[in-house]
Amino acid sequence: MFQSFVGLEIHIHLLTKTKVFCGCKAEFGDEPNTNICPVCMGYPGVLPALNEKAIEMAYLVAYALNCKLNPMAVFERKNYFYPDLPKNYQISQFRSPVGTNGFIDLKYRNIKKRVKIREVHLEEDAGKMIHAGDISLLDFNRTGTPLLEIVTMPDLEVGEEAELFLQNFRRMVRYLDVCDGNMEEGSLRCDANISVNLRGKGLGKKVEIKNLNSFKFVRKALNYEIGRQTEIIERGGSIAQETRLWNENRDVTESMRIKESENDYRYFPDPDLPPFRPDDLFITNIKNRIVEMPEKRRKRFIEEYGLTGLQADFICEEKERADFFENTIKLGADPENTALWLASDVKKMLNRYSTALKGSRLTETRFFELLNLLKEKRIHGKIAKQVLEVVFKEDKSPVDIIREKGWEQITDRTKLSAVIEKVLKENSAAVQAIRSGDNKPLGFLVGEVMKTTSGRADPGIVHDILKEKLSLTFIHIISMGGAITGELTDDGTVVPGNPDIIIKQVEQKTGFSKKIRLEEISISAILSEEITPDDWSSLIFRVADLLNSQDTSGIVITHGTDTLAYTASLLFWLFPQPLIPIIFTAAFSPFTEKTAEKTSNKMSRSNAIINLSSSIEEAAHLSPGVYIYLDDRILSPLNLKFEKAAPGGFRNWNLKQPVFAGKPVKNVSQELFSRENILKKLKTAVNNTFLVKTFAGMRGDILIKMMDSGITNFILETYDTGTANLSESPYSLKKAFSTGRERGVRFFCTSQQETTIDFSRYITSRELWKEGAIPMGSLTAESVYTRILACYILAESEEELINLMEDTGAYTY
Amino acid sequence: MPEWDKILSNPEKFKKWKEAAVFLDKNIKCFLEFDPEKGIKLSGTGAPADRPETEPADKPLSGIPFAVKDNIAVKSFKLTCGSKILSNFVSPYTATAVTKLQNNGAVVIGKTNLDEFGMGSSTENSAFSPTHNPWDVKRVPGGSSGGSAAAVAAGLVPFALGSDTGGSIRQPASFCGVYGLKPTYGSVSRFGLVAYASSLEVIGIISKTVSMLKNVFNVMKGEDPLDHSSLPAEEKTPAGKTAKIGLPKELKSIELYPSVRKTLDSTIRNYKQMGYAISEISLPTLEYVVSAYYVIATAEASANLARFDGIRYGERDFSAENPEELMLSSRNRGFGKEVKLRILLGTYVLRSGFQEQYYLRAQKIRTAIRKDLQKAFESVDAVLLPVYPRPAFKPGSKEMDPFSQKLADIFTSTANLAGIPAVSFPAAVEEGLPVGMQLLAPPFAEKLLFSMCRDYEKVFPSPNPPDNYFNRSI
Ligand SMILES: [Zn+2]
Repeated sequence: MFQSFVGLEIHIHLLTKTKVFCGCKAEFGDEPNTNICPVCMGYPGVLPALNEKAIEMAYLVAYALNCKLNPMAVFERKNYFYPDLPKNYQISQFRSPVGTNGFIDLKYRNIKKRVKIREVHLEEDAGKMIHAGDISLLDFNRTGTPLLEIVTMPDLEVGEEAELFLQNFRRMVRYLDVCDGNMEEGSLRCDANISVNLRGKGLGKKVEIKNLNSFKFVRKALNYEIGRQTEIIERGGSIAQETRLWNENRDVTESMRIKESENDYRYFPDPDLPPFRPDDLFITNIKNRIVEMPEKRRKRFIEEYGLTGLQADFICEEKERADFFENTIKLGADPENTALWLASDVKKMLNRYSTALKGSRLTETRFFELLNLLKEKRIHGKIAKQVLEVVFKEDKSPVDIIREKGWEQITDRTKLSAVIEKVLKENSAAVQAIRSGDNKPLGFLVGEVMKTTSGRADPGIVHDILKEKLSLTFIHIISMGGAITGELTDDGTVVPGNPDIIIKQVEQKTGFSKKIRLEEISISAILSEEITPDDWSSLIFRVADLLNSQDTSGIVITHGTDTLAYTASLLFWLFPQPLIPIIFTAAFSPFTEKTAEKTSNKMSRSNAIINLSSSIEEAAHLSPGVYIYLDDRILSPLNLKFEKAAPGGFRNWNLKQPVFAGKPVKNVSQELFSRENILKKLKTAVNNTFLVKTFAGMRGDILIKMMDSGITNFILETYDTGTANLSESPYSLKKAFSTGRERGVRFFCTSQQETTIDFSRYITSRELWKEGAIPMGSLTAESVYTRILACYILAESEEELINLMEDTGAYTY
Repeated sequence: MPEWDKILSNPEKFKKWKEAAVFLDKNIKCFLEFDPEKGIKLSGTGAPADRPETEPADKPLSGIPFAVKDNIAVKSFKLTCGSKILSNFVSPYTATAVTKLQNNGAVVIGKTNLDEFGMGSSTENSAFSPTHNPWDVKRVPGGSSGGSAAAVAAGLVPFALGSDTGGSIRQPASFCGVYGLKPTYGSVSRFGLVAYASSLEVIGIISKTVSMLKNVFNVMKGEDPLDHSSLPAEEKTPAGKTAKIGLPKELKSIELYPSVRKTLDSTIRNYKQMGYAISEISLPTLEYVVSAYYVIATAEASANLARFDGIRYGERDFSAENPEELMLSSRNRGFGKEVKLRILLGTYVLRSGFQEQYYLRAQKIRTAIRKDLQKAFESVDAVLLPVYPRPAFKPGSKEMDPFSQKLADIFTSTANLAGIPAVSFPAAVEEGLPVGMQLLAPPFAEKLLFSMCRDYEKVFPSPNPPDNYFNRSI
């Protein structure tokens, strides 16, 4: 078993106006050799003069990285000859840098880790040498620009982690406004060192990798290098201590030079620069300048404003965006709406006008005004979007816009009642249809009202009034098959039946008759074990539709027991905050007139009627949420386990308290829920996903065959808290993981036991994580599987899909 | 005494002076560049920021000519450092110390010869030509500021700037019979002084009179934002006549040339007569001073001289095939033997794993000598030492080989390691050669040194060499 150690050396260009030891402009994109002077050109007799802004920024970064701040920072000369280094020594720091012993906390694949920072030191950059044919050209504009080097301890293990570390670090320095963090332009540069060794044997031979000028290259190069070194050691070879370059065209690292011994830079304190001793005032200023770091802010936004992890990610990505968000909240806006608008319509507008939030026509005050108009129902969503467009187009405040354009919503009930009365009179056929149980024309009626009011009618009030006038509140029963609506044939087998029979029984029993609507989702031909993506997409679409229609006070879904855990959790992921109760129910044997008459044995009597009747009754008074109702017991849709021995045949795993509603996986507009869209995405999800239970003697190559046939997501039901065989044998997952990583295949881990996945307990589980497995906390395989389906529906990109999958914090109970 | 402030403005006097200077320089070769007309044109043209907004009507150094050692930058003048590698280098800027003098009316008339990059004690290590002692052209003027000392002694200028890393001002001043001040480290900006050993060296003054020494120092001193090792020159009040002079007892066991020993004794006598108290002190670390000095100086030099690579300026080997070869070859051709020796030594002592043994140990000795002196200054106001164990010697290795020249830095390099001010003053003429003595004082006590030198000047002013401008101007 191998262990890998990755450390990073990051260089950032500080955003000072002038160079670190002279007064030249610190801009290196200008005409070559224009920002130079005798000092940075190393002319005879000149002396360096430390730039105060640069040393301030250096201490600021060290402080932000939780370093011990040095009371005496010493500049030293690092001696080496190179044509682009005018003095042939670099002023740097060695024995007494600005900061030491810091850390950044990182969370990758749901595992938390503290990455230690060895030191932060300030130095000057060198120039640039360009070889053009047989001549060499030198540009000294970059010479002497302030560079801050951050060196981590070898605490990282895989490329993805290093990439994440760098992204976090970049966000931090951008927050601090000390570096623009642009890797392509070289203002943030990264070298990595890596060593691989047998686990427990400590560090191996160190290999340095250079030329990593993007986050992606850092990840790819490190993973390539881990693989390369592991292979060499496995073959019994030894690693050469060397410097390698990342070749982005071939996706490999290549040897640059073998290091016989370390370079001797003959460091000694620069006599031209006295040690920098920060006084109390300096340190106070540094502490005052510190801003809340992105990770901390992100966490706070989740806790304080109830944002989801992904929302917080988006808001906190840029400091200016997070500031804008928080300023808007301070004015009184609702956090979730603010986040939602920022991530969707505001983002769209900023892209359209290619402008940054800061300095755009949308000020915090205007934004709050817009959200407030919406909240006070003076405008509705569609109008709000139009108002936002006008803000950007005409540079006016939302209040002025709606006044000028006459877009204010009509909320006056009497006024709207009059309009609706007129519409109903003119459309008596539609009214008739609805009254007789067909609510399809409802949308048409709403449309007519909106048309009459040029879109200004408050849709909510219109619905309310319509409901009132048409006496529309129904409990919808959706039949998804299963024994509950099945039929028992004479030979004792259960076949799909006619749900009407049971409904009649229920109507008699509950007296709800006029308030119940029954519909079937292409079920009559199947039992629940035959469920397909088509059935799910129909159900999702129908539920979405019902939730929108506002003529429904509750939904009861009858379902088979075998697949109930899947469908229930899928609906939970998609509709975690329904405005009405959604209740699943099931039965172990069908109701038949025969059994009703003949069976006196209580145990074998069907529970179909009692379960359905009770569910309908519960639907009338349970608070909004998704529920499972079975034999007088209410269970959560999340982590539902079909265990026949359990009372009622079902049990929830790993829940401290039942969960019926929760945070949305992602805030989305309802437009997404078109039937075709859902079906297409569900099919892709189902086709790409495979659920594997690890078992003794399992062969890893079988999983590779599955990858060959298109599987990109594996749910791995591991042993216990997250272990599996990763030894060097065909009966392990080793090869499957390495192949999977090459192909971008994901492994989501759950347990075969009722336990929470904890990768920190066993070496084998640590290894799983290192190889790319994502621990899914306390979620069951069924819930993870449906989360994948939900994420496929909701995500707009591969990257977002992964983020949504890992954002399970809120559901790990 | 010539009226120095009239020489440049009076055409007749100027002509006469210039002719005399050119004539005398043929024998002593103190100038590497002599161009008073250029200097006049540049006078008062320091960086505008450094010039006071309202210049005093009566500038303290108005019209006074001076020479500058050729390792100190003066814009439009060459800056060769006595080295082939910079033989054609013209400085694009002016040293802060020079700018201050120019702003106060003084005029640079030329650049003086030196041992290459200040590395030597005889000015023989100049890549261009050795300088000769005005007292006896068959002898060296001392070094490395030999050109400046010779120019002042020959009466060509009333003062000249030099640099003192381990005695480079005081030793040639002593050899030539003039005053030489090595100020407190940090009291005069080093900006514009081509670095040899940055933590030891300082720009100083060689002059014919004590009052000139004092006036020039008062103009040059002060903190400079361009030199972060510079300090505001806080003045220490001199103790006056009652000042106590300390005499290290270690002097008894150190071998001195008879004329030097004799002069030391006469100096003690003279000061006693003037009312100064003399008491014995101890400097136990004195014997380690030279070793520590050369380890630190060469270590710093190895880095300081790394910049001369022929790429951005200076002599370049055009036949080089690639940048690396260009650097190697330019340095190999451009540096003289003594410079190469010191770069090698410095590189050696800085190697990792060897720093403990050399560089760091030298720093410890440095701390010890500083403490020795601090302790001495608790009981005395100044310390009296010879400048050099012998008077001006003959060139070549017969009388003093390069190694014994280094050992002889024992009395001068002490002040550099401790960062304290020291002055060399003419104390006698023995066997036809001037002999100088040295006074050391606590940091920033230059005023005390001036007053003690002034007292001695009254009984023994700077002697004139046989042939000089004063003879000729009469
Ligand atoms: Zn510059």
